Amino acid sequence: MKITARRIQLIAILSFCLAVLFLIIFTGESQAGAGGQDQPPPGEVTADWSHAREVFSENLHRVLPYKFTAATLPPPEKDPCLHCHITGEETGLWTPLVRWILFGSAGLLFAFGIYRSSSVWVTREPWKPLLSRAADWVDSRYEISDPLSKILSKPVPSFARRWWYCLGGITAFLFVVQGLTGIMLAFYYQPTPEHAYASIQYIETQVNFGSAVRMIHHWSANGMILMCTAHMIRVFIMGAYKKPREFNWVSGVLLLLLTLGFGLTGYLLPWDQRAYWATTVATEIGAAIPVIGDLVLVFARVGWDIAAQTLTRFYALHILILPVVTILSMGAHFLMVRRQGIAKPL
Amino acid sequence: MADTDNLTEENSVPFYPDHVSNEAKVVLGVSVVAVLIGLIGLFAPVGLGDPADPMNTPAHVKPEWYFLGLYQLLKYISKTAGAVLPIIGVLVITFWPFIDRKPDTSRQSYRNRSIGIALFMVVLIAMTIWGEVS
Repeated sequence: MKITARRIQLIAILSFCLAVLFLIIFTGESQAGAGGQDQPPPGEVTADWSHAREVFSENLHRVLPYKFTAATLPPPEKDPCLHCHITGEETGLWTPLVRWILFGSAGLLFAFGIYRSSSVWVTREPWKPLLSRAADWVDSRYEISDPLSKILSKPVPSFARRWWYCLGGITAFLFVVQGLTGIMLAFYYQPTPEHAYASIQYIETQVNFGSAVRMIHHWSANGMILMCTAHMIRVFIMGAYKKPREFNWVSGVLLLLLTLGFGLTGYLLPWDQRAYWATTVATEIGAAIPVIGDLVLVFARVGWDIAAQTLTRFYALHILILPVVTILSMGAHFLMVRRQGIAKPL
Repeated sequence: MADTDNLTEENSVPFYPDHVSNEAKVVLGVSVVAVLIGLIGLFAPVGLGDPADPMNTPAHVKPEWYFLGLYQLLKYISKTAGAVLPIIGVLVITFWPFIDRKPDTSRQSYRNRSIGIALFMVVLIAMTIWGEVS
């Protein structure tokens, strides 16, 4: 009751202020138009709405501490309006876009406020946030809140919050970074000997932030190998690979080898002298294997020499096969960690 | 499973939100470093060498730094041994949990393994540096 009374008071005060404002502004008309033809009877406020706008702007300075001066219109070619944009006269995109977003979201907010207030008014129930409504909508159909809260409330031992337990997580996040920057680079990279070098040059000089993305891809590849090794050393020293976590170690070694595979296949892609000859000697290491050495070499290079086929094969390995195998192995790795918990140190 | 059975509220935190927010901080830190590296890349890009030329072998051919140690090993031992030893090494590392099966009883085993891995890393880093300067 008290609140309602206060609201009514507030509305009354506000409307009184508004009325006073209007009176101050519009009574000015009788003075402004004092030399006019038909004088209204004194004391009576006329409301000649046909000139309301002029009267308003002329008398605004009575309530405001400053006077408005008419703004000069911009030249027509510099006036990007939404209407001109729709009719095709305006080529700029940002001004209409910003206007749509700004005024559109303001309008949506206003409409939402009206809806929310009237809904509370009509139902006499507290407002339920839209997000929890959406959650209820999904949950009533798929019943995921119980298993989800079970997953989310799983206890993590306090000892696992020391910094050396986050090395594996950093490796996983660097893999995500590699995926994102790699997709960005793949938009511009061309895996042929004729175009590979030029497309990297194009990425470094022409593409917006291309050199930044390539730099991040380059260094987080090195960082991934370092973090992977550091994680492995941590697990080794603490004996976390022992029963029952043997296969977690095996999948971890597989992930390290896959990371090295990413490094090997990615290093060739720029197709400069360093890349070409580094790949030459790296594949020669494989050729040293007895019995199957030559087979390994021919399979890796698609022939005896590094040529166009080698580049496309390395590219396919780098962006298709290795990522898929890595994601699957990472899934297995994480599921095992999740299932078995983090090994307790002595 | 044995390790997670006796987790109580005193010696554990819930996965969400405590652990997730912790990990989010790590992710944020790594992202900041990545963005800083990207900013450096805007002014000093990774760059490219000369275009690949199969006819012209450069003076000092080297593989990527993570294969340098292995490459250096291959230079000085016989070709067969140089290829077989790493394969055996990788196999031993892969199946190490099935070789070292005795459960730890004291921190003495931590120390032993630390010394072992330190020796291995010193040898590996020495080989890599040797490969880099030679």
